[in-house]
Amino acid sequence: MLAIAAVLAVAGIMVMLQVPPLRKKKLTRELWAFWILLLLGVGISIAKIVMRNVPTPLEWIAMALQPFSDFLIRIGLIK
Amino acid sequence: MLNKSKISSRQFMILTTFFTFGSAILTVPSGIVALAQQDAWIAALIGLAIGIVLIGMYILLAKQHPNKSLVEMMDVLMGKWLGRLIALLFVVSYFLLGPCAVLSILGNFLTTQMMPETPMVSLNILITAVVIMGGYLGIEVLARSSELIIPWGALLFFAFIVLVSFDIKPLNLQPVLENGIAPLGPAVLSFLGTVFLPNIILLMIIPHVNNEDNEAGRALLIGSIIGCVVMIIIIIMTIMVFGPGFTARSMYPTYSLARKISIGNFLQRIEAIIATIWFISLYFRVTIYVYVLSVALAQIFNLKDYRPLLMPLGMLLVVLSQFIYPNIPYEQESDARTWVPFTIIFGLFLPLLLLCLRGFRNMNKN
Repeated sequence: MLAIAAVLAVAGIMVMLQVPPLRKKKLTRELWAFWILLLLGVGISIAKIVMRNVPTPLEWIAMALQPFSDFLIRIGLIK
Repeated sequence: MLNKSKISSRQFMILTTFFTFGSAILTVPSGIVALAQQDAWIAALIGLAIGIVLIGMYILLAKQHPNKSLVEMMDVLMGKWLGRLIALLFVVSYFLLGPCAVLSILGNFLTTQMMPETPMVSLNILITAVVIMGGYLGIEVLARSSELIIPWGALLFFAFIVLVSFDIKPLNLQPVLENGIAPLGPAVLSFLGTVFLPNIILLMIIPHVNNEDNEAGRALLIGSIIGCVVMIIIIIMTIMVFGPGFTARSMYPTYSLARKISIGNFLQRIEAIIATIWFISLYFRVTIYVYVLSVALAQIFNLKDYRPLLMPLGMLLVVLSQFIYPNIPYEQESDARTWVPFTIIFGLFLPLLLLCLRGFRNMNKN
């Protein structure tokens, strides 16, 4: 619980620091990018706190690269 | 906003050096020695030769598109949608495999070797705070601080090499090429994967370098070579002091190397020196990663400023570095089977493709 509160507090500080100047300059795209990344960050943080084993995103990259890395293993360039 | 800042070619060279040996200095000897035993240094030399060709390719690419970053090159050559899609793929996967992985390696090192009672997350938060600050201040400040720090780094490095050289046993390098040439292949590739292939992302910084008579390319080449030579020296030293067996088994052979230094039972336990060099270079590596990736993200989505992205990226960095590698065996397997193919695709195939596309364009024009 405390950890989640800390994450939300950090996110709140970030919003306070970043959003008003962006609003003032009317940088809508930047604002959108900021919110999306922040939501992603908070989401993953809370998932990490609540869940015991969060699957690592490297798994997807490894899966996508599987054919190429199998090929490299076959020709003996990686082990 | 994005293109105003300028750094000199000398600063770019220093940044490249830091980036090249950045995270590798502590962990690479063990990986490459495990693959090629006492011949790891030969593999590293072959890696240097191939690496020079690679860097030549990047320089050619930068020359063909003056004042354009990698993302903008992809934009021009592959078209707006495809170019940006590939660039986005590149940025997201690089973020996971680059800064997140490096930070997790750093956290592991600190919690296992130096500060066993401090939780990893708090150390990572501290480092990330400084990284984000560096990114926020921009490439100029980063370049200047690297210029300030490099003499100290070099001094520490030379002190380390001189002190360690009392313990070397050149016999450890024999027999040369005991198992033939074949085992060198994976070793060369893993060396290239950590030392030269990631340098492709420095093409994002090249437009910021003052470029009269192509100094930027030369700086990239010289910086990479210096970084690589540092790595080769460290690999040779670890093999000569410990022999291939221990080097391959140890997680952080360079650190153990520093631990071994004992001059007259008086000058001892100076492993903090090597840890300091590592923190400095690793800080620059992570900061360059984060800076470059946020600038790339800003260019992909047509943002005027990359700075609003930094803080949320820092948050993601801290969290992801906690579970990107569930355990050490996973990390080692991922280093070989995911990182190496990944850097080959984006460090070798991508620039080759861009060069070919450019060639076809020129043919069409004629």
